Amino acid sequence: MVALGTARVLAVRGATLFGVLIASLLLVIVVLGATGVSDRMMGAIVNEQVRELRQSLAQTIRDPDELERVVLAEREQLVEFYGLDNPWYFRLPDMVWRVLNLDLGSARTLKSFAGSTRVSDIVLERLPNTIILVTTAMGISAVMGLYIGVKLATRVGSRLDRGMSYISAASYALPTWWVGILFILVLSFQLHIFPFGGIVSAPAPTGLLNRTLDIIWHASLPVATLVLASVGSWAYVVRTMVLNTAQEDFVMVARAKGLPENIIMRRHIIRVAAPPIVTSLVLGLTASFGGAILTETVFNWPGMGRLYFDAIMSLDENVVVALTFMFTVLYVGARFILEVLYILLDPRVRY
Amino acid sequence: MGERTRSTWKELLSTGSGKAGTAFLAVLIIISIGVVVTYPADFGIKYWSNPVLWADNPRVAPPSWTNLFSSFKHAETVVFEATEPAEKVSEFGVIRAGYSFDLNFNADESPTFTSLIVQDISYRERPPVLTLSIERPDGKKIEMYRLIVSGPRPGEEAPFSRYSETPFRVQLSGEMNVAAAVSDFLKKEIGVSISSQDLLVRGVDIAVFGKPSGDEGFDVLQGSYKIKVDALLYDEADSIGLVKFVVGGSVYGLMGTDTLGRDLSIGLLFGFPVALFIGLVTSSVTTVIGTFLGIVSGYMGGKTDTTIQRASDILANIPLLPILIFLAFIIGQNLFVIMLILIAFSWPGLTILIRSMVLQIRSGQLVESTVALGASRFRIMFKHIFPQTAPFVFAQMIFFTPAAILAEAALSFLGLGDPSLPTWGQILERGFSDGGVYVGYWWWVLPPGILIVITAMTFVLLALGLEPVVNPRLKRA
Repeated sequence: MVALGTARVLAVRGATLFGVLIASLLLVIVVLGATGVSDRMMGAIVNEQVRELRQSLAQTIRDPDELERVVLAEREQLVEFYGLDNPWYFRLPDMVWRVLNLDLGSARTLKSFAGSTRVSDIVLERLPNTIILVTTAMGISAVMGLYIGVKLATRVGSRLDRGMSYISAASYALPTWWVGILFILVLSFQLHIFPFGGIVSAPAPTGLLNRTLDIIWHASLPVATLVLASVGSWAYVVRTMVLNTAQEDFVMVARAKGLPENIIMRRHIIRVAAPPIVTSLVLGLTASFGGAILTETVFNWPGMGRLYFDAIMSLDENVVVALTFMFTVLYVGARFILEVLYILLDPRVRY
Repeated sequence: MGERTRSTWKELLSTGSGKAGTAFLAVLIIISIGVVVTYPADFGIKYWSNPVLWADNPRVAPPSWTNLFSSFKHAETVVFEATEPAEKVSEFGVIRAGYSFDLNFNADESPTFTSLIVQDISYRERPPVLTLSIERPDGKKIEMYRLIVSGPRPGEEAPFSRYSETPFRVQLSGEMNVAAAVSDFLKKEIGVSISSQDLLVRGVDIAVFGKPSGDEGFDVLQGSYKIKVDALLYDEADSIGLVKFVVGGSVYGLMGTDTLGRDLSIGLLFGFPVALFIGLVTSSVTTVIGTFLGIVSGYMGGKTDTTIQRASDILANIPLLPILIFLAFIIGQNLFVIMLILIAFSWPGLTILIRSMVLQIRSGQLVESTVALGASRFRIMFKHIFPQTAPFVFAQMIFFTPAAILAEAALSFLGLGDPSLPTWGQILERGFSDGGVYVGYWWWVLPPGILIVITAMTFVLLALGLEPVVNPRLKRA
């Protein structure tokens, strides 16, 4: 009975999360299609190709009528190839179907730094950059947040605790990107300690060690920005979780038994407060692969966030759809795995 | 309800953060009202984005008060304006209207530019003639510039109106005739010979506001200058609407200027009502929708509940910023569109929370007894359940306000702001994309950010102050 109920709950959750995925993709393609953006963009691509074709054919075909006929035939072929002869609601579902089959396709205007137009190539180039920046920052803030949060929970109401809760509230009102600008202005422009942006110096230093150091030097400001923006809320979340658990009866029992405070903290409190913290950790980790659009913009960092932004700005619908798919799949996948883990790991969670 | 509002206020004002938040909010509202009353409705398009209006200002000049902190005194921008002449003498049918401006100049550099603006001239018989001269502290006088208003065109009838639509504007520093006049002055009065070509290259102002110092260089001549514009009119009814003289400095006003010479203080002030509008309207609409659907979902149960919950689940899980950027770029950079998108993706979070509250309230005795009394479902939901959620809903609204303000600022910073309504985010974006960070235009990128933070912080403080109201258990701690 219990197992059946659990399976049902997981199925509903799974269906909802799949709904999230489909809704995200539908939203993107309906907006692209219904506003005519897709048609305009594809039309421009066809026109550009026809123009190039005419120029090259004009070298070999002298008769203008003949040339016109060949170009027109070629144009019709292109229109058919791109599916422009059908309205968008016939053309775009194909794209969703293809993406759902894990074929990310190729970009229309964007290129990887190496020159490839395949979306997977572009992503593979950008993903490490984002991991260096956003995932590192996320890891640092999580570790710091855990440490500070547990510390605060042991001295609730202290000056440190109250100060930290104000700081974490203040960080909610502090736009990350503006903190980045502040850092550049003070540490790069005024004090010349850090570079203004980018990922490596030009020319890039040779040797693995020098290169690594150079990247670390470039990453320090943006990483510091992201950490500063999120460490407050991490500490606060951990503190709340730990506090909530600390008020439970079994903790009081442990105290009554006369167990030392550090054992109570380690064995009774943190172990129980861990699942929600792990949830934040996993979700934060998956979200970090999506990059940080604003911070990457401020620091001119060629990561995933910037890629998504550039794809929108150049209306490269294949890239936009592929990235939307990737980000949502990551998120939805992480959510589902957590859901399963919850049920498997915590015997109290039964539906 | 009135009693309750009063006690909420009391509670709010009893905490430090509540007091600070209320004080900040009062200041924000007062400034906003002042701006709404005094600014024209089409400020964004007609004034802020109109480069002609800012042509008389120095470009990217830091605020004037920076002089207090530096040993080198930068020239301040001074604008003189007169609609009526200081003196008017009539002799032999000719009227001499004299305009006179006193400039006390004691900067360590000469002005960066000087310009003369004349507007709205009307005449009947002969075109008026205007002469600009400057009397220097050393008693010498430079005849700088002469403007002969253009004569009647064939077929035009008196009175002839000139420069009424677009004012006549001459940047004296780059004017050939001015350079020739100053070169002449230098030769006759000072005994220095510099060709007018050379003067044009080096800037006329260093000579007009300077005294020679070896090697053909100039030192700044500090002291009081008298700038005189004399107009000769040939009819009693002839008139000049406005005479304006600008001494361009390298510092400007309270907040400095941007690359178009726009006075940043004017744009920043305009940002107050816009930010409050975005924050409050977005958060209140979001709260109304979220609360309504939450109560309906929680109380009605069944299919309604499932539908609303699935929809909120899906919407709440779609990553907001990428979708916001995508939609804002494709659908259009219009403030209302941006606000609508924010609302569309923000209500689900609240709906989920309210629903769980309603589930608890529904099983309480109050609701049970009203059902027994035969109250309608609508009445129960909004007369009996809603009031119990009200403090929480209100706190959520306050808490969501900075999120909306920050989201708009982020979009504007990416260049997706509504161009017809200048916001702090847009000013910051201009400063950043014009390289303000790399060359250190701090007065351009810091103040808008600080204002965003202060405004967002105001609501965070209010939310903190409201916490004991919403969560009475916290009071004991």
